[in-house]
Amino acid sequence: MILSFMTDPAFLENIVRILFVFVLIAAAFILSTRNIASLLTVYTVQSLLLVLIATFLYLMEGNQTLLEIAVLTLVTKVLLIPFFINLIGEKIKISRDMKFNYLEPTSSLLVSMALILLAYVFVSGFFDEVILGKLFFIGAVIGLSLTLMGMLVIFSRRKVITKAIGYLTMENGVLLFGIFVADLPFIIEILIVIDLMILILLTTILATGLDSTIEEYHQRLQTLKIWSGREH
Amino acid sequence: MNASFLLFTLLNTGFVLLISPLFMSLIKKVKAYTQGRKGPRLLQSYSDLRKLMQKEVVYSPNSSGIMRITPYLNLAVLLLATLFIPIVFIPEAPAGIGNIIVFLYLLAIERFFTALCGLDAGSTFGGMGSSRLMSLSAVIEPTMIIAFAALAYVLKTVNFHEMFAITAGSTIPESPTLALISISLFIIIIVETGRIPVDNPATHLELTMINEAMILEQSGKNLALIELAHAVKQTILMAVLINILAPWGLATELTFTGIVVSCLYFLVKASLLAGLIGLFESSIAKMRLFRLPGFYMMAFFFSALTILMEVFA
Repeated sequence: MILSFMTDPAFLENIVRILFVFVLIAAAFILSTRNIASLLTVYTVQSLLLVLIATFLYLMEGNQTLLEIAVLTLVTKVLLIPFFINLIGEKIKISRDMKFNYLEPTSSLLVSMALILLAYVFVSGFFDEVILGKLFFIGAVIGLSLTLMGMLVIFSRRKVITKAIGYLTMENGVLLFGIFVADLPFIIEILIVIDLMILILLTTILATGLDSTIEEYHQRLQTLKIWSGREH
Repeated sequence: MNASFLLFTLLNTGFVLLISPLFMSLIKKVKAYTQGRKGPRLLQSYSDLRKLMQKEVVYSPNSSGIMRITPYLNLAVLLLATLFIPIVFIPEAPAGIGNIIVFLYLLAIERFFTALCGLDAGSTFGGMGSSRLMSLSAVIEPTMIIAFAALAYVLKTVNFHEMFAITAGSTIPESPTLALISISLFIIIIVETGRIPVDNPATHLELTMINEAMILEQSGKNLALIELAHAVKQTILMAVLINILAPWGLATELTFTGIVVSCLYFLVKASLLAGLIGLFESSIAKMRLFRLPGFYMMAFFFSALTILMEVFA
């Protein structure tokens, strides 16, 4: 009974659409949440939603790569990366990011609405909705919107740790876009994930500066004379 | 007016009046549990109302007729609004009943008279509360309109009765975008019923109160009516969210079993929602007045996003 439900394409398509909505909700929370622990939780949930989307698409299409992507995303973005960032969080002992560049969360939300519209216009310029299929078209729009919203997080937040989460959100958007449009080869996805792991590792190593803003970070590096090689 | 609508009027209004105070106590109870306290009895709100009903009403010498009619008018307006939100079954309603725009105006009338009543006695607190309520209303009103417009757009009707008939016939939410609207509706419940983070119903601090400030001059039976109206408002707003997102069990035809099942289902779902509201209130701090538009913006964002997704996707 349950299995017959799970193989019905219309049912699966509906579930994927609902997951899209939740991905957008998570993105909105990433844009506006100030608490770093919550931010990390929302990122983890968003990654988990991507895992589910890839799994349901696999059930619909039967493409093995989708399943591999789902497993890889689950291991890296749901388990490893949040674990590392959590380590950083414990080290730097800051719980909230109250500093914003140019845009407060309220205006970020408004701008992100414009970004979604922009993504729609852009995607519809490149891909035909009829050829791509409605579900894949929405997936592409949401993937691109998520990338732009991640960019907005990097642009509007000042703390390095939140900027890192913005970067990770951007990558989630790229993954979503890749799943629905580009038929992302598995090897490229692995390379991206390795990239991300290195980013997070580096961020962990440089954790001493993460409780600062970018400007303060430069200041600290200069005070410590790290770049000039001289002892302080 | 047909017989089924007359029956609906009696049953729906009676049911809402009967169960509304229960959810007020339930929210208090959940909040108390999260704070490690035992909290009031579940029937505490009923005995509070009964006690207030037996007390005499004291009017300020400066107050006018507004102070006298507001409690009755508010309750009457909200009971009328109750007819717009079917809970027991969906009747064949006369034209106009169930219309979203009229519903919004009914809520606006209630708000307007509450604010007027706050000003009427001439006390400092009342005026301050009214001024705050009106400032916040100016911000939440467009958000509410957008949220309900999105609802009307998704379900292709402006009538609550027809909306519920559509959602009641589906096993999963009619459209994925309804999940987005439900967040907006949740925020609207929080704002309209004056709960944390917008207002703190448990305090009498001049720094935080909005709704409490306006009813500070009310006493006795009038206070009971205002409290009851507040509870009714909360229940009907909760019913909008429940019947849109989780309409299971709502009777579409007039049968005895259908009505009983429908009432029981609603009681369970509304209790869960009340628990959720209590948890939400416990997990968030009261916001500063000037940060509230940011909170409303969340509701606006999700409603506008719904329309965007429905139009383009």
